[in-house]
Amino acid sequence: MNSKLKNKITTELQLEIINFLHQEAYLLDSRKYKEWLNLLTDDLVYRMPLRETVEGVGANNIAEDSAFFEETKKSLTTRANRLYTKSAWVENPATRQRHFITNILVESTANPNEFKVRSYFLFKRSRGSSHTIEEMFGERNDIIRKVNDEYKIAERTIYPDQAVITTMNMSMFL
Amino acid sequence: MINKTLDEKAFHLLKEKMEQGLLPQWVITDPDIYELEIEKIYGYTWQFLGHETELKEPGSYITRWMVNDPILLVKNRNGEINAFLNSCTHRGTMLCTADRGNKKTFTCPYHGWSFNTDGDLVGIVAGNKVYGEEMCKAEWNLRKVPRVESYQGMIFGNLDVNAEPLEDYLGEMKWYFDILLGRSGGMEVKGLPQRWVAKANWKATAENFAADPYHVQTTHRSTVEMGISPEDPLYAGYGHQVVLENGHGINVITSKTGKARVPFQSMPESIWPLFEEHLSPKQLDIQSRVTVFVGGVFPNLSFVSPIHGTEGHLHNYLNFRMWRPLGPDKVEVWCWFMIDKAAPEEYKDAAYKGYLGSFGPSGTLEQDDTENWARIVEVSKGLMMRDKELNYNNVNNYLMGLGRVEPDENFPGPGVAYPTTYLDAIARSMHEHWLKYISKGLFVKEESK
Ligand code: FES
Ligand SMILES: [Fe+2]
Repeated sequence: MNSKLKNKITTELQLEIINFLHQEAYLLDSRKYKEWLNLLTDDLVYRMPLRETVEGVGANNIAEDSAFFEETKKSLTTRANRLYTKSAWVENPATRQRHFITNILVESTANPNEFKVRSYFLFKRSRGSSHTIEEMFGERNDIIRKVNDEYKIAERTIYPDQAVITTMNMSMFL
Repeated sequence: MINKTLDEKAFHLLKEKMEQGLLPQWVITDPDIYELEIEKIYGYTWQFLGHETELKEPGSYITRWMVNDPILLVKNRNGEINAFLNSCTHRGTMLCTADRGNKKTFTCPYHGWSFNTDGDLVGIVAGNKVYGEEMCKAEWNLRKVPRVESYQGMIFGNLDVNAEPLEDYLGEMKWYFDILLGRSGGMEVKGLPQRWVAKANWKATAENFAADPYHVQTTHRSTVEMGISPEDPLYAGYGHQVVLENGHGINVITSKTGKARVPFQSMPESIWPLFEEHLSPKQLDIQSRVTVFVGGVFPNLSFVSPIHGTEGHLHNYLNFRMWRPLGPDKVEVWCWFMIDKAAPEEYKDAAYKGYLGSFGPSGTLEQDDTENWARIVEVSKGLMMRDKELNYNNVNNYLMGLGRVEPDENFPGPGVAYPTTYLDAIARSMHEHWLKYISKGLFVKEESK
């Protein structure tokens, strides 16, 4: 509890982190994946478990034994680099995508350089002349680390709200 | 349905075209054909419900779909797996809406009737006061799926009580299932199947897995560009395409030399001795040479057993998927990850990552597949695709290899094995079975002539 004061979340810090997440969303939406990879620490843990429907009030409905993503920086780099090839058809012609990041909540951790950041996401995309708008939404739990005066994502867990995904595929990063 | 828009004459023209190796494109997404398929194919064929390892303890249950029928699979106290229509016998409410769980009884939220793991009605709220003593509870037990049978841990259901046994239906496929699922003593499912909705027709997705290694070099060209897959445009074509009974098929992809690219698909050496124990010499020979197995069970179950990894490592896994039709141009994909029970835990974890990196909705290979499936349905509904005479040129030509490539008599496994996977032998067989089911009873006269 002593660390509470030491790591007080100031308005300034909060604003910096909010800006950081908005900047990240901008890079993703503009398909600047290489720049996006620079926002990730080398020891990054990036996961997205499945949501499941279970009975019971307050029961855990995250299927921790099943995932959509279970990634390291290396595997994400492979995924991102593929999107720069000519023949990643899913993104050529490219989808038009927007990440709407809201409800950002910053908390301190025992490490003065690391912050627990929760945010909501709404991802929307449009493809070709299709009338269907694809979307995904949910919550992200991040650990954001300050490295040499820059913010980096050290950990991200994405919780989708849909048990059955309604985007055709998941070529996006969330 | 059939009488309204698709008359007997149309079926005869369809049959004629198909005998020439031509499939009119309009049949892919035609709404009347779709209705026929649901009734005449899905009402009579064996459909995959789940794997035995998804139901671990007594009381474990999972919910599934047979197209539009909600199904509840439950393990009872004796360890037997029952499959019920997931609908209360009182007013029909869906009984259980969870994906999985464990319970002793299932209680309906509407009026509170409850059923045990054998589907018996065991509780009626204020039963005696409302219904009196004479109500016979046994008449209100959950309705069972008419036929439920399993093979190598794979549980299938059939709505047709007179259907041939599952093992007969699988036929020659059993021999390959013994390799895929039984090589080390059994597979296990990890977690829940991934589910997503794709703009696609179930026939096209099933055909993609069962019959189409030819698409690999182009659809998945990004992996060539990335240096993950070989440059040789024939790399997915080496090996055999094997046409099996009942519309099933498998591609045994090896390599240019006919040898494995990586021994035993990179499975850990610790389990190699199990292969010898569980496989016949002929099966072992195939397992020792294969790079990728990919194929399907008619009508809508597919599988792929490749070697993959996104972190530079290579691991093998088995991916089963079921294409649940939601309409002529929509499928709900169900995608299971399976791995040898006997494999070391760290191998299982690494293989799961390899799976996520390649197949499933986030898989780098799968992403580009979905794009092509969507493009097929986007174009199939037009007027120019709908020529009643069926002789317009815009047909899906699946003539490739027809009558040109002779079967390889020396192939060790059952089925008709062609010495390349770049041909449409399985696709033709699938389409023949498709026509056989949807036109049942129609060609009887001339066949008996
Ligand atoms: S509908 Fe289930 S108890 Fe009435
Ligand atoms: Fe593919």
